[in-house]
Amino acid sequence: MTYKIIENLVEKLSCDFVLADPKELESLSGLLPLLKQLHIKCMDLSFKDPAKEILKARKIIDALLKGSSTDVDEKMNDLGRLISGLSSAISVLKESEPVPDTNGPEPSGPALEPEPELITYPKADGPDVSRFEPVLEKFSNLIGGFCPGELPDLGALLNNLDELIDMSTGKEFVAFHDVCIACKGYAEDMTLENIYNTKPLEEVLVLLKSLLSHLKRGKVFGFDYADVLELLNLNFEEEKKVKEAGPDKLSPEEKEEVLAIASSTEPVKISDDDMEILIDFVSEALENLDTIEVNLIDLEQDPSNTDIINDIFRPFHTIKGVSGFLSLIKINQLAHATENLLDSARSGDFLINEMATDAVLESVDTLKNLLSLVSQGTETGFMPSDDDIDIEPLRDKLQRLQTALKKGEPLGKILVQKGEISSDSLDQALEIQKKNPDKKLGEILVEEKKAVPKQVAAALMDQTTTKKSVAAQVKVSTDKLDDLVDYAGELVIAQSMLRQKTSKDKSLSQSVAQLGQIVTNMQSIAMSMRMVPIKATFMKMIRLVRDLSRKSGKEIALNMKGEDTEIDRNVVEALYEPMVHMIRNSCDHGIEPASDRKEQGKPSQGSILLRAYHKGGHIIIEIEDDGKGLDKDVILEKAKSSGLITGNEQMTDAQIYDLILQAGFSTAKEITDVSGRGVGMDVVMSGLEKFRGQLNIESTKGKGTKFTISLPLTLAIIDGMLVGVDDEKYVIPTTAIQKAFKPSKQDCFTVEGKGEMVKDRGSLIPVIRLNEIYNSKSTEKSIWDSLVVVVESKDEKRALLIDELLGKDEYVIKSLGANLEDLEGLAGGAILADGRVGLILDIHGIFDLVSKEH
Amino acid sequence: MTKSTEALDEAIKATTIKTGKYLTFALDEEEYGIGILKVKEIIGMMPITSVPRTPDFVKGVINLRGKVIPVIDLRLKFDMGEIPYNERTCIIVVEIDAEDGTILIGIVVDSVSEVLNIQATEIEETPAFGTRLETGYILGMAKTEGSVKILLNIDKVLSTEELTGLEKVSQ
Repeated sequence: MTYKIIENLVEKLSCDFVLADPKELESLSGLLPLLKQLHIKCMDLSFKDPAKEILKARKIIDALLKGSSTDVDEKMNDLGRLISGLSSAISVLKESEPVPDTNGPEPSGPALEPEPELITYPKADGPDVSRFEPVLEKFSNLIGGFCPGELPDLGALLNNLDELIDMSTGKEFVAFHDVCIACKGYAEDMTLENIYNTKPLEEVLVLLKSLLSHLKRGKVFGFDYADVLELLNLNFEEEKKVKEAGPDKLSPEEKEEVLAIASSTEPVKISDDDMEILIDFVSEALENLDTIEVNLIDLEQDPSNTDIINDIFRPFHTIKGVSGFLSLIKINQLAHATENLLDSARSGDFLINEMATDAVLESVDTLKNLLSLVSQGTETGFMPSDDDIDIEPLRDKLQRLQTALKKGEPLGKILVQKGEISSDSLDQALEIQKKNPDKKLGEILVEEKKAVPKQVAAALMDQTTTKKSVAAQVKVSTDKLDDLVDYAGELVIAQSMLRQKTSKDKSLSQSVAQLGQIVTNMQSIAMSMRMVPIKATFMKMIRLVRDLSRKSGKEIALNMKGEDTEIDRNVVEALYEPMVHMIRNSCDHGIEPASDRKEQGKPSQGSILLRAYHKGGHIIIEIEDDGKGLDKDVILEKAKSSGLITGNEQMTDAQIYDLILQAGFSTAKEITDVSGRGVGMDVVMSGLEKFRGQLNIESTKGKGTKFTISLPLTLAIIDGMLVGVDDEKYVIPTTAIQKAFKPSKQDCFTVEGKGEMVKDRGSLIPVIRLNEIYNSKSTEKSIWDSLVVVVESKDEKRALLIDELLGKDEYVIKSLGANLEDLEGLAGGAILADGRVGLILDIHGIFDLVSKEH
Repeated sequence: MTKSTEALDEAIKATTIKTGKYLTFALDEEEYGIGILKVKEIIGMMPITSVPRTPDFVKGVINLRGKVIPVIDLRLKFDMGEIPYNERTCIIVVEIDAEDGTILIGIVVDSVSEVLNIQATEIEETPAFGTRLETGYILGMAKTEGSVKILLNIDKVLSTEELTGLEKVSQ
């Protein structure tokens, strides 16, 4: 036990030493507490020689810190030798040590006081918490004006701490008490050892204050304060042992107490103060988890990239911190366990492998479940019980992974990449490392004169530094954005009215023109604020494909093109579900098992290509797989048996493929849990139609299938043709318009005197009179006296009768408000140039309307 | 809490809610009032775009500073017969409760009169008119300065189900 602690300490020491900057001697002071601890431990085991070495090292550092030594470099080298000598000495001792000292006398003192993970307070108004406040206040004042090295200051601090310790005797203040004791120990060290670092004291102050506020509210304090204690020289390893055991290590009655409190207070009412923080926490945490997912998958491709590990580590750290503060114990514990694993990976102890990614992903999923409970809680006002979600197995798994994973060589790689050492010497060093597994690669390299300490330190820095590439961002609610777009639109209208009125005044009109420029720019910026790259959606698909390929045992690679294509954020939401469905289909039905693929001469790894690009006001998303393709005969047979077709129709390929979009159609022979319940593609289709989208299917049997989704770039803007019918003005979406012309009398026909048709290039097109279906009073005009606009929707053509074409423009689509938005045949309203509201026609809706009425 | 106290509570609540400031307006010869907190603003007549396939009383939609809001004619809603709009005709923009938050609706009235402070004591229960007249959306009758003002529960008058529900009838 103790031996292991020493080993860990030495490792930490050598790591810290390499990281310490020779130019900033102050940074060496961080080594002193480590050395002190080591010394105590060595003395405990009566390791005399290493203890002497440690004292030597301490003297060197003292000398360096005092600046009495002139030859800093030499001293540093001495120190380096001492430290590496230490680690080899220790490993030699390990072999000679007959029995690992597991039950031996543990070093006494406050350091090993077991810290129960959660401390519960039986009463809501903890006994006399108020008396702590003045003392703690004094403590904070003392630290505020603290002058390290001044004995009177330290004396006052110690007295204050004594007071706190005396006060906090009692079961309900265990945590408070322990922290105070630990802090006092640190303060004593400061007096004796000339430690100038006050950071741990500040941490303690923050911790004590939050403990106190929890006490006051009678809440369970679940925050993991191990790092603060670690700062205070407490033995972290011992700490962790107790922590990992969690509540189980509590004595039985304590445990019961925890459970009793947990169950008796269910459901816990969320206070208004907490509510706001909780809501923020949930949304932020979910966002964080999404980025974690994406980064994890990147990490799989590039496991040694510490930047990515850091990007994953930081959000977990945030989640851990905030959840502890909010007493979300399970989230806190799970995030902490995951963070530990990542932390080891971050410090280069091992490379993240597939198992680790799986575990972290699992942890992400569990956290999401826990968070959804919390978010339910914020809706109902009562915190639901999270008893159903058991995080213990997962925590164990993370723990085991952390210890099981072997050390990789990321440091060496970095050095080779930097050209500081040759790969030969790296190999040699690794060879040595195999013999002395306790040695750090950096040390070996330095010892063998393959690299100077500075280079190693620089490489270690590279291992840990992160590059922040994200530009500063602000979160804005979408309501505000929508309002901004509204007002920008109004501004354009107001400006154009102003322009008309001032057109005669030359000097004024110039200013107005300038205003117009600004207004137009502003409007386009307001619009662009709603646009986001499609990348995030694509990234989610990577995770999906990865999971699916694991589950089905098929090898599937997902490639992406054009992931920077921008798209309205509302459209992104519209895209997600359909894409998930189609990718599932591709993985499940499209791509064959590797053995089948080989038989057909295809590479064993199936591939799915996602491609996004803009095309004429639409965003096109292609999902292409190289699987077995759609089987026309099977589709036809299936459609016939389910009564979708009679079997006698003449159908084009496209029409046959479109059959799979019909409700109740699924060609999968077996129903898997992935897809194949027959409620797939029709849901996709209706989902897309809701957003004015289209779906196209191309397929070659044996070669693969390509789904092409086409969606308007933004749901807020439509390219439209303004037309006048009687006194009304309507906007027809330009995408639907085929042509507009004035028919001559001989092009017009009627069927049975009613059904009017117009002939255009040989084909007869039924005529729709807008004023008729919109029952506005009208004088029957003959077709040849007015204009017709030929519109198309879903391969159907109709001619709309209009009076005049008023021009083409972009229109911002507005809801008609109240419940008018669901009106058939209308897609919404648009503010016209004169400030009035024009109605936007929904061509497909009109077709439906007409066919219903006739 | 016993049933009787509950009932009493309800009654107290109902009367206290009725007390307050009301915006009064004229429709034909009658005076009506809406709780002032429901009123967002009063605007003059502006061009209304009629929306097809809606009940008659839905006059259409207007552009309220970039937002499209529906406008209904209260005369038509109450079957009072249409009169041409004049310079006294106003649109009162009210905020009514819907399932998902609040929505804005404009109501066309003959003219806006004043804001009145009405005490609960001045308010009388709506008399029953039998089946001839639906009184569900009338809060009560206020007797002030010799005239009677009909206080409307505007949420009920303009229930969104009605906008769409009636639309189906008209089809």
